Amino acid sequence: MKVKLWGTRGSIPSPGPETIRYGGNTSCVGVTLSDGSLLALDAGTGIRSLGLALAAEPARLHILLTHLHLDHIQGLVFFAPAFRAQTEIVIWGPASPEASLRDRIARYISAPLSPVEVRELPCDVSFRHCPQSEWEIGSARISAASVAHRGPTLGYRIDDGDSSLAYIPDHEPALGADIDSLDEAWISGLGLARDASLLIHDGQYADAEYPDHIGWGHSSLSHSISFARRANAARTVLFHHDPMHSDERLDQLGLEAQQRWLALGGADGEIELAVERSEYELPAHATSATSAS
Amino acid sequence: MTQRPLELILARNLMSALSTPAFLVDEGGLLVFYNEAAGALLGKRFEELGTVGAEEWGSMFGPFDGNGEPIPYDELPLVVAVRNGRPAHADFEISSADGARHQVEVSAFPILTAHGSQGAIAVFWPAGSHDGAGR
Repeated sequence: MKVKLWGTRGSIPSPGPETIRYGGNTSCVGVTLSDGSLLALDAGTGIRSLGLALAAEPARLHILLTHLHLDHIQGLVFFAPAFRAQTEIVIWGPASPEASLRDRIARYISAPLSPVEVRELPCDVSFRHCPQSEWEIGSARISAASVAHRGPTLGYRIDDGDSSLAYIPDHEPALGADIDSLDEAWISGLGLARDASLLIHDGQYADAEYPDHIGWGHSSLSHSISFARRANAARTVLFHHDPMHSDERLDQLGLEAQQRWLALGGADGEIELAVERSEYELPAHATSATSAS
Repeated sequence: MTQRPLELILARNLMSALSTPAFLVDEGGLLVFYNEAAGALLGKRFEELGTVGAEEWGSMFGPFDGNGEPIPYDELPLVVAVRNGRPAHADFEISSADGARHQVEVSAFPILTAHGSQGAIAVFWPAGSHDGAGR
């Protein structure tokens, strides 16, 4: 399984000279399974670059949406494969009692917010609510579970061979809970992340920023580290960077994360901050991820 | 260990912060949590008791009707809520671990999600208490 981060920013695109190293595109992760199947995890503005990179790729792919906040769907109408008649796109996402996934996405892909409507997309697009039980895409087994965030929100786990990727980009597991002491069954998202080869997890706020954002659906650095420790993931990438965090600020937070990880008994290189366009290789018969670039 | 549904996790987190006694059961009627206020009412903390089977918790603390007769399990508000997916309310008496009787009002409601019922919550309002030894 190959994993590439096309957008690592949270909330709103944040391009500019101060974010050029970690990136300014919002959430999107490209996954190539061992059988060649293609997945996109979320469709933030990063999916535009993914689409351009796929120009000559096979025409069927799956987009797995964690939720429908704008920073996770904004790139959909700028995703080049959606405008090719020969492309088949399956969009997975959370169910809601209010409306179907298609209808909820159509609120964005419609006037006056969009120049095109869902029905006008040239590709063969379908919308599916994620089942509660595991399902298969290509060579992978996919699991989805609701996680603590605002509104219906999923986290995903992708098992391909012996490798596993857990993706929980928007997550506040410590809301009203002490995740250091709680029984594992009572920690949001932990079932998805347990023993993952690679965990991509919300790391939006510095600890000092979190008290002003309790209930906003995101983690502090301490919460992210605690969650990763409880999950026993082989490698953790902190994701969904706050748009106010410059490269220099993220350098500081990354260093702090590593130091605290080591102080808790972790090993060097097991935790890092997400960098746009970075790649990870998860061998089919290994348990840890290696950086491909 | 099986991951609890998010709705139960959030319910537990909320209940943990309340000073109103509250109980949480899963979709199978298993008592999976009660908060500190409920523990004070019952005279036993949840951590001491742990998860309790559906029929067992229904009889552990009574409950009793106005005549002191045990109330059938099927009629308890929490059972009605989790089985029938609708809210229920009742007044009855419960017996705490030290034998004291407490008159309570109980409101229970189901936790319904896009994937169906995940359990139910019952909230207790103590209406007064007296020593069971005097009965």
